Amino acid sequence: MLEIKPIFKALMRSKVGAVLLLLQIAITTAIVSNAAFIIYDRVTYLAQDTGYDEENVFSFAILTFGKDRDLMQQTELDETFIRNLPGVIDAAAMSAVPLSGSGSATGFTLKPQPEISKRARAAYIQGDEHVLNTLGLTLLEGRNFTSDEVVVTESAREVPNVVVVTKTFIDELFPEGNGLGQTIYMGDLPAKVIGIVESVSGPWLKDSRPKNIVFIPLMKAMKAQNFVVRTESGAREEIMKNIESELLQQYPDRVIDWLTAFDKSKDEYNAGDILMMRMLIVLIAVLVGVTALGIFGLTLFNISKRTKQIGTRRALGARKSAIIRYFLIENSMISLVGLVIGCFAAHTLGQLLMQHYEIPVLPIGYIIGTALSVFVMSWLAVIGPAKRAADISPSIATRSI
Amino acid sequence: MLTMNNIGKIYQTEMVQTHALRDFNLQVNEGEFIAVTGPSGSGKTTFLNIAGMLEPFSTGQYLLDGVDVGKLNDNQRADLRNQKIGFIFQGFNLIPDLNLYENVEVPLRYRGIKASERKRRIEQCLEQVGLASRAKHLPQQLSGGQQQRVAIARALAGEPRFLLADEPTGNLDSLMARQVMELLEQINRDGATIVMVTHDAELARRAPRNIQVVDGKLADFTLYQGAPTANAHVLEGV
Ligand SMILES: Nc1ncnc2c1ncn2[C@@H]1O[C@H](COP(=O)(O)OP(=O)(O)O)[C@@H](O)[C@H]1O
Ligand SMILES: [Mg+2]
Repeated sequence: MLEIKPIFKALMRSKVGAVLLLLQIAITTAIVSNAAFIIYDRVTYLAQDTGYDEENVFSFAILTFGKDRDLMQQTELDETFIRNLPGVIDAAAMSAVPLSGSGSATGFTLKPQPEISKRARAAYIQGDEHVLNTLGLTLLEGRNFTSDEVVVTESAREVPNVVVVTKTFIDELFPEGNGLGQTIYMGDLPAKVIGIVESVSGPWLKDSRPKNIVFIPLMKAMKAQNFVVRTESGAREEIMKNIESELLQQYPDRVIDWLTAFDKSKDEYNAGDILMMRMLIVLIAVLVGVTALGIFGLTLFNISKRTKQIGTRRALGARKSAIIRYFLIENSMISLVGLVIGCFAAHTLGQLLMQHYEIPVLPIGYIIGTALSVFVMSWLAVIGPAKRAADISPSIATRSI
Repeated sequence: MLTMNNIGKIYQTEMVQTHALRDFNLQVNEGEFIAVTGPSGSGKTTFLNIAGMLEPFSTGQYLLDGVDVGKLNDNQRADLRNQKIGFIFQGFNLIPDLNLYENVEVPLRYRGIKASERKRRIEQCLEQVGLASRAKHLPQQLSGGQQQRVAIARALAGEPRFLLADEPTGNLDSLMARQVMELLEQINRDGATIVMVTHDAELARRAPRNIQVVDGKLADFTLYQGAPTANAHVLEGV
């Protein structure tokens, strides 16, 4: 006993409330599906494993203003000093610090440029043979640099001819997994891949290739030198507290700055994302709540407006279930139209967001999933009022005029 | 067709108990046309509502076509209303968002009658009340008398054997009231049993049998017999 046609016709004759509700449902669907996807995207991003033992690693920078020391020599002295501190597992000066948000990257190719060949982008980190151990990286294939292979230089042309790389990076250049021992080029400079380490995050978590890193055995004298230190479990806090004064005791004409724990670097890097995520969750909750209240309120309003009509229908032979069905069908019709509009709006909004922000394409599953949830929610919101309508006594038909 | 034995109805509100009906006894036979009169608040509507199963009664027994109404559940009562009873209300009670055709269709849909049969009946009933040409109009586009005729068409569409009308002419001027009355008389001649509550003494006199409700009790007398019945003394007290 379907009553779709008369319900539809009756709706068309008093549609203001229905249209408002329909728009509300459409807007909710459009915004919630996009917001939910952005949240998912951020959650997977935030939950990504950097690959580091973040709790036991920290970094800092030494900014030297004193002119009476050889910078290179001082860096080596500092490295040795830190490595010998109790609780320190290893330490190394590095050209860029992972998770810090600053560093350098370039394209690596299979043939020397300007020849055209396959190319993969990677961040590069320069330092000595302690870099891998300091970052706590596991070698998957090959070997680490030897101290002899580390080039200590001021010249841009004098470069090492070996590198260690992350697995994601080398697999991009050599998808068959035979990257070890191959030669890759940075510009026209060749380097042999002597080791492959597990994939860890580079300086930028938001990079398109966050885990492409090339480790280069190169030391350069720098006025601003980054250091990374890995400590024994639980020793980091104490070491971080004292490191500044201890280093200044070694040589005072310098400043220790940007002392940051690895887990903290990651949080700082991501603080904006976490805030955005919280705001989106609040937005979704508010929107869904408002829409549910809207449906609930409109149905209650419709019922109080139609009390006499409902009583009359009951008098004319409607069972309670027929009254409930009436409101469910009516609500479903409004919702379905709203959801169809909402799905198109969600798609359009997704496109706009994609153009203006770094957000991937909104998957169709998100739109459909949201539409289904909104539909279920609309049923939940309407079922209570509909039951109340069914409980209206048929005697209302004769009692109220 | 309708038998009420010692029906009592008590409305319980926070402060007071109202005995809307007490010891109400009535027998209505197939084909009768009964006018119910009585002072305001005497229980006429209450009686009609109970007769039409729109509300439960507190005590007594009510048999409709031999069925003990007190033993039915809500769905059974709804189905019985739909099949056996046609209602005509003082306020017409047409559904404002439905046109005349759709209004008459309402009880037929609840009965699950198929579309072609619905169409036949609706057209026939609208024809009978003289509004076939207005089928697509909305109720608000009609006069009160016309609306009441649509309501009668709606009551007739289900071919009920029992028509209950609560002051069907209460909101109509006398000309329209007479037209409605003539329609009801016609329907009665066609075989339906009618119980009509009215304030209009002139209309009541046209009905073959009059009953009067006073203070929730029945005073029955039959005009066409020309003489008051044994209950007539109740009336004299009014
Ligand atoms: N729903 C109700 N709740 C409480 N009292 C009611 C209710 N309906 C009717 N009554 C009371 O029952 C009595 C009979 O009412 P009713 O049958 O409507 O009288 P009539 O139709 O003869 O004017 C009146 O005193 C009225 O106030
Ligand atoms: Mg009344």
